[in-house]
Amino acid sequence: MRTDELIDHLSGVLEPVPTAPVLRILALGLGIGAILSALIMTATIGIRPDLMDAMGGSAFWLKFTYTIVVAALGLVIVDRLARPDSDIGRYLFLLAVPVLVMAAMAVMQMLPADAVTRDALIMGHSARVCSILIAGLGLPLFIGLFWSLRQLAPTRLTEAGAAAGLLAGSAAASIYAFHCTESTPTFIAIWYTAGIALTTALGAGLGRWLLRW
Amino acid sequence: MIPQEVQYREWMLASLHGDAAKYRALLAELTRHLRGYYARRLGADAAEDAVQETLIAIHTKRATYDPSRPFTAWVYGIARYKLVDVYRRERRGQMVPLEAAGELFANDHAEEAGVKRDVRKLLARLPAAKRRLVEAVKLEGESIADTAKRTGLSEVSVKVAVHRAVKAMGDSLRDSNADG
Repeated sequence: MRTDELIDHLSGVLEPVPTAPVLRILALGLGIGAILSALIMTATIGIRPDLMDAMGGSAFWLKFTYTIVVAALGLVIVDRLARPDSDIGRYLFLLAVPVLVMAAMAVMQMLPADAVTRDALIMGHSARVCSILIAGLGLPLFIGLFWSLRQLAPTRLTEAGAAAGLLAGSAAASIYAFHCTESTPTFIAIWYTAGIALTTALGAGLGRWLLRW
Repeated sequence: MIPQEVQYREWMLASLHGDAAKYRALLAELTRHLRGYYARRLGADAAEDAVQETLIAIHTKRATYDPSRPFTAWVYGIARYKLVDVYRRERRGQMVPLEAAGELFANDHAEEAGVKRDVRKLLARLPAAKRRLVEAVKLEGESIADTAKRTGLSEVSVKVAVHRAVKAMGDSLRDSNADG
């Protein structure tokens, strides 16, 4: 086909684009992934039985706030990286804020503690499964977000994949918070962050293979 | 800011609302820039495929343009991504430097100006009578019949004279290229 014929064709099939199209497509992948992830969790490991009591205390909200803030920043970064003229410098800087605050709270909890207490703070009662479960619950979200990104136009594929993994992991951690009964900043700073890091690494690895267009 | 930004952005916003005429004008303008951009990097033959692929990408990915950001940077992002894609398919393993978006939009005017200057130089070497015929027919687009009427020559003579003059210009261009 000649180029001027192509231009004729493309302008012939032009249709108006709805407002905020990128956010719409991302919200669809994220929303379906989150619903699936929540259903899978409820059907398998279940919601903590004392959820109502827990929601009255601060430990639950510390966990949930941490993961939701990371997820919100993740969404902004994915939205940027879904476009060909992406530029994310200052958002990476913002992302460091919740992670560092959480780490600082963990350090403040650890410093005055003795060796036995430190072990208990680090290991809690679910250290061996926490990160794996978060990453596992992240998979439906991960698939949904990659589906979204494939319809958009990322040009930095490794970064876009990592950002999608970060968002999938932090959204999954927010869902997992309704199951998990751990309540110390130390545990959350280590194992929640590790779970999110797992899906982020997975996204970084798969981005350049799965996000090409 | 890139000089074309305001005009192109306005056309793009209209296109996103479904204005086909402005969309066509935008694609035609972008084609000109893309052709120069790819021709300089891939050669004229491979350039046209890359231009078409990029136009299709601009079309299918148009929703990813964020109106609060420069349009020219958005187009450049796509053009550069497609260039990297061609290199990857050819396994050239070539690094593509991240240039400014101006790379896509600035150079072709300089190139056009350069071509015009070359043509003028070649024309200057022709005898005055022939030069005027070439200028009338080839540059100003006058018809052979009109030129013949205006100059009093026959149409065949005009045709033959212009043809020979253009051939002579081509020959002298080849010679000067062979020298250089």
